[in-house]
Amino acid sequence: MTKKIRIVTQGIFLLIFLWLFLQTESKGANDLGYPVKVFLDADPLIFITTIFSSREWYQTFYLALLVIVATLFLGRVFCGWVCPLGTLNNMVGSMKKGRPRTSTENWYRFKYYILIFLLVSSLFSLQLTGIADPLSLLIRSFSLAVYPLVSYATSATFDAFYNTNIPFLVNGSEFTYSILKKIFLPFQQPFYLQSAFVGFLFVLILGLNLVERRFWCKYLCPLGGLLGVLSRYAFLRRSVSEDCNDCGACAHACQGGAIPNQEERWKNTECIYCMDCDDLCPRNAVHFGFLKKQPVAGMDLGKRRVIGSILTGLIAVPLMRITPIARAGVSDPRLIRPPGALEEKKFLRRCVKCGECMKVCITNGLQPTLFEAGIEGIWSPVLVPRIGYCEYRCTLCGQVCPTGAIKRLELPEKNEVKIGLAMIDKGRCLPHAHATPCIVCEEVCPTPKKAIWFEEIRVINREGKERVLKLPRVDLELCIGCGLCEAKCPVLGQPAIYVTSVGESRSRDNQLLLP
Amino acid sequence: MNRRDFIKAALAAGVTLSFQGNTSMILSSLEAAEKVDLAVAHGVSPAGITKAAIDGLGGIKRFISRGDIVVVKPNMGWDRMPEYAATTNPNVVSAVIKLCYEAGAKQVKVFDRAVVDPRRCYKQSGIADAASAVGGIVSFVDDRKFKEVKLPGIALKSWPIYTEAMEADKVINIPIAKTHGLSTLTLGMKNLMGIMGGSRGRIHQKIDGSLVDVAMFIKPTLVVLDAVRVLTANGPQGGSLSDVKQLNMVIAGTDQVAVDAYGATLFGLKGADIGYVMAGHKAGLGTMDLSKLKIKRVNI
Repeated sequence: MTKKIRIVTQGIFLLIFLWLFLQTESKGANDLGYPVKVFLDADPLIFITTIFSSREWYQTFYLALLVIVATLFLGRVFCGWVCPLGTLNNMVGSMKKGRPRTSTENWYRFKYYILIFLLVSSLFSLQLTGIADPLSLLIRSFSLAVYPLVSYATSATFDAFYNTNIPFLVNGSEFTYSILKKIFLPFQQPFYLQSAFVGFLFVLILGLNLVERRFWCKYLCPLGGLLGVLSRYAFLRRSVSEDCNDCGACAHACQGGAIPNQEERWKNTECIYCMDCDDLCPRNAVHFGFLKKQPVAGMDLGKRRVIGSILTGLIAVPLMRITPIARAGVSDPRLIRPPGALEEKKFLRRCVKCGECMKVCITNGLQPTLFEAGIEGIWSPVLVPRIGYCEYRCTLCGQVCPTGAIKRLELPEKNEVKIGLAMIDKGRCLPHAHATPCIVCEEVCPTPKKAIWFEEIRVINREGKERVLKLPRVDLELCIGCGLCEAKCPVLGQPAIYVTSVGESRSRDNQLLLP
Repeated sequence: MNRRDFIKAALAAGVTLSFQGNTSMILSSLEAAEKVDLAVAHGVSPAGITKAAIDGLGGIKRFISRGDIVVVKPNMGWDRMPEYAATTNPNVVSAVIKLCYEAGAKQVKVFDRAVVDPRRCYKQSGIADAASAVGGIVSFVDDRKFKEVKLPGIALKSWPIYTEAMEADKVINIPIAKTHGLSTLTLGMKNLMGIMGGSRGRIHQKIDGSLVDVAMFIKPTLVVLDAVRVLTANGPQGGSLSDVKQLNMVIAGTDQVAVDAYGATLFGLKGADIGYVMAGHKAGLGTMDLSKLKIKRVNI
């Protein structure tokens, strides 16, 4: 019975998660209107490590505190009942039959070492949590890989029907397609750099369930580790009555690796309260209840290993910082951060690489970095104007950022923020180099007084005819670096006008003009 | 109703009226029979002057017949709110859609291939909401629905054009008058770029001829130029209210060149100052010589 309630609860939370994921998309209004980042807001690991690394309190912490308090009382119910990645692991894991391995019995410690590493490094301002945090990982994988893949496959299928040109077939498929578009397909096909890489890691995590059910949850998940520590003295505990005949059915079913068939070794920190043992017990000997003084097994992490994890976390900080990332003029000039992004060092202390900003980016221009921002900044957002520019009146990335790495800006404020500056490559520009009219960059320039203006000149062409040409120029004072000119420049391949990060408002040093 | 039907109807009306012997009605029907080339309506209500301008040309029934599938093509190419005059006035658009339905149109479709994000353009311009409210079928441009077609070849031999615009019984072009860096002004003919597919940035290399090619190909039944507000600088996108001028005018006509030539006068220019107007005139698409046109002015 409890098992059924648990499954329904998991299903509801997974559906809420997916629904909010689908709502993380512009409908043309200025605001999204839904709390799409609510799962990340509820993530205590992100909450704690962000406070550690940024050394600042942040606003939306009620839900994270709620999860912490719930865990202190009830144990890791979040893992067993709420976490959408846990639910997916659960679903894939149900395909694996057979007893849990005993050889991996002690691997549960890994997640605590990962946790210690993340906590220590974040304490010293290095925020790597997002790489392994399950919610961040799940949203990133869905945004960058799963959803684009599903969208592509669906569209390709319906396009194939459409191209048959057989009327009744086209009508039927187009009708279905229009419904799917309304229900779950994106407005436009998303494309992301590294979608295959991120997708591969996600499939790997799901695939590990076939090695061991909930492999990720048991052995790797740092959030599970944190909740495990918090659940150490939880009141909700498991008891086994004397009816138990050591049949081992519970051990067979256990999703958390809490080894429930040897009662004296029941690890409450590993129990995710799936209640399967309670449901399955043929003699009805297992019970969960409050405040029973039930003995629980210690965590037994090993002093040396804990010290090792702490040291690794410490060493990681300088190791990842010995790159010239934050130095003006040295770091990657195409590292154009979204508008509202904090100064680079502060930005990296907060960004949890969840990919919400990339998912919501209206032009698909926000892409995940690989090493452009150092290993520390892997999968953080960078604007690639050739893929998509920054829409002048859009503020969505700041609205969805869970940790304030991208500040939420009001429109007038956003319109003033420079994320870089555009410059013209005169060797490729049609009017400049080839005496051919163009001026698309000026046409599209979105600032109220255009940052791109033109100078009219008279040139003589090869035939000796005089032509009047409009040569584009960039007004660096007005340019905000949105990249619309670069996105629309008809000189394909390497564009004749392009944006680099120099002049970005958030940096004190990466400047060009005298103030 | 095409022109031939119109003449027949007018004759029939003349015959019945002559039986009744009402001279004033005969006179007014004669006046209607004398073709008005451009109707310029002035007044504070955008919807009111839109209707007045179309009535000035002889009413919507001159253009739309029962059962027609009509495409209304406003300018909603930019993410700007109506007061910034970068997109067609939503009330002008909805007034035209309403008239079409009153004339018995079966469907009135509304779309534009926006330059920036279409969701924001459709929403922020106010056009999607205004058009849907009066029954307009608003859709985003579907990339699969462009078809490469032969064009007259002044500048473009062929180009992908939106099939819904080609397959419609009638096309009504509803541009807004505003400045443009390359072509000085964007008016009716330039607004037709919204049914063009492909990489439109390249059009700019031969903009005048290209626009005439498309205008000759699509031949809108009617052009309704929105000059309720016009954008006088930093067009076509604008963004500053100080560049917007309130003219409270709507100009309607069937001659694409004539409408645009009249539009140029709103900015103190002549048709001949605008490259594509000149090119359209030369190609015989229409006339930019306003002195030869019968222009009806209405104030409401």
